[in-house]
Amino acid sequence: MKFSRAFAITKRIFRGLRHDRRTLALIVIAPLLAMFIFGVAFSGDVTNVGVVIVNLDDGFVSQAIIANLDEETLNIRYTDSEQEAVEEVESGKAWAAIVFPHGFSESVMAKLQDNSFAGDTAIGVKADKSNVNIVTAVMRSVTDAMMATMSQAGVEMPISVDDAPVYGKGAEFIDFFVPGIMAFAVFLLTTLLTLLSFVGERTSGTLERLRASPMKESEIVAGYAMAFGIIGMFQASLLLIVGTLVFNIIIVGNPFLAYIIVALLAVVSVSLGILLSSAAKREAQAVQFIPLIILPTFLLSGIFWPIEAIPSILRPLSYLIPPTYGVEGMRSVMLRGWGLEHIWLEIVALLAFALVFLAASIKSLQREKG
Amino acid sequence: MANLQNQPAVETHHLFKKFGSFTAVDNLNLRIECGETYGMLGPNGSGKTTTIKILCGLLKITDGEAFVLGKKAGAPSIAPRIGYMPQETALYLDLTVHDNMRLFGEIYGMSKVDIEREEANLLQFINLEKWRNAPISTLSGGMRHRVSLACSMLHNPELLFLDEPTVGVDPELRASFWDYFEALRKRGVTVIITTHYMDEAHHCSKVGLLREGQLIAEGTPEEITKSAGARSLEDAFLSLARRGEQP
Repeated sequence: MKFSRAFAITKRIFRGLRHDRRTLALIVIAPLLAMFIFGVAFSGDVTNVGVVIVNLDDGFVSQAIIANLDEETLNIRYTDSEQEAVEEVESGKAWAAIVFPHGFSESVMAKLQDNSFAGDTAIGVKADKSNVNIVTAVMRSVTDAMMATMSQAGVEMPISVDDAPVYGKGAEFIDFFVPGIMAFAVFLLTTLLTLLSFVGERTSGTLERLRASPMKESEIVAGYAMAFGIIGMFQASLLLIVGTLVFNIIIVGNPFLAYIIVALLAVVSVSLGILLSSAAKREAQAVQFIPLIILPTFLLSGIFWPIEAIPSILRPLSYLIPPTYGVEGMRSVMLRGWGLEHIWLEIVALLAFALVFLAASIKSLQREKG
Repeated sequence: MANLQNQPAVETHHLFKKFGSFTAVDNLNLRIECGETYGMLGPNGSGKTTTIKILCGLLKITDGEAFVLGKKAGAPSIAPRIGYMPQETALYLDLTVHDNMRLFGEIYGMSKVDIEREEANLLQFINLEKWRNAPISTLSGGMRHRVSLACSMLHNPELLFLDEPTVGVDPELRASFWDYFEALRKRGVTVIITTHYMDEAHHCSKVGLLREGQLIAEGTPEEITKSAGARSLEDAFLSLARRGEQP
């Protein structure tokens, strides 16, 4: 393999981008747009949830708990009728009816003095559980208000949780999400651009002209891999800079390791794009592969939810998808601050994918000499 | 094939190429001498392009042998010595004329100075000097064809395969193309051209008439016309084709 010939292909891709502003915009804007949309929309905090409080109690405990409810999370309305409150939930006007029964404060005080007291000390939460995230936020708000009230009254729980994070101190959803979107953007865009570019090379006859020249198939693939490796690292830099400046994301590890992961993922993606392109005769056919790339990556690679949350029957599939290793590796670097000694498995897995896919894509080009 | 003194530019022995049950090249025996301008003539589907692709190493042989510049067709050492202009424009539309020519120059290992010099000569020849920095996507079909031809000649190949180079080119430019091919021949470059324009055959030092993958006649245009007892090469082709169809 001659480096100068492979590099000629790399330069050709960059020279082409100078005149192809649409692709250039896609490379720059698409990952940023994804980060902004997901970063803002999925900031992790559920707010302004409509609830109706029915306080049938005339004591101070219920008042104190209501005062401690998080008004950012809950949009509170009041009524005297439990039936009316439930109807609000049934008609979709509120997510939950929170009911403090008659004599709630007296019962709580009595129970504090005598644990065997049998009075009603339960706060009734009659919720619309059709949305798990919202009902979880409501329940968390009520529980937090209850604990805060008890603490203010000097009643301490005999058991407590000492929250001392080993990794990810102060991490929010965006911190968890940025490494995922980096892997996703690089994988998706690189595969897609290579796929379309290669279909174009075939239909326009340029691939044939290259293959009639001294250019070897391995040099064509290497030229593409170098170009998209560089583009992938550029995208990663952009996301890291904007993520740090706008979303104040946490980066405790060595960003250089994140670049290595991104570059490897880009090489895997280039090879996959070339492989898929051999099955598409026209660009319209190539576009049909997009769901095939997006869906497994989105659902199974751990970008949004952990692989541990995926049913065990599907979990092996997650480990067959290269971005899984990219996402996990980058999260470990950025949030845990891990080095090569910890993420070697992810690097080896990506290297193995890269080598197998590169060999397969070169072979597929050589096989075209039918 | 070891005799380098009388080594032909192209030689095939009982060459076959099949795509499934379809035979595209059927027992083709060719010998094209160095310095010839050889015209491969025949209608669409006669096996011209398939033969060119085999000789350029783009297709594998089903049976028989093919030699180019003394080496087996497709041998890596041949590629730098040949030029190939495919039927399609085969240019990067998002690159300029200069960028396309520079790319192919770089692929053939040419220095920057050599690329600039050859590019200037060729742009003058194809009369596109003013369009040097224009993206290919902004050029007309004929202009693209000219750039495609220039890209295949940039590295000064010994042997040039031109697949339908004059299709879509206006008559004036077609005439200048043939003048240039003649100039190349005088410089010792072997040019192998496929065409279905019978009138272009008179520019060739030798032609081969192909039909259904078989070579039905070979010689100078005059020889073929005379041996078929026809008035023109086109009539000769039709006469020979009819003879081939008779049981």
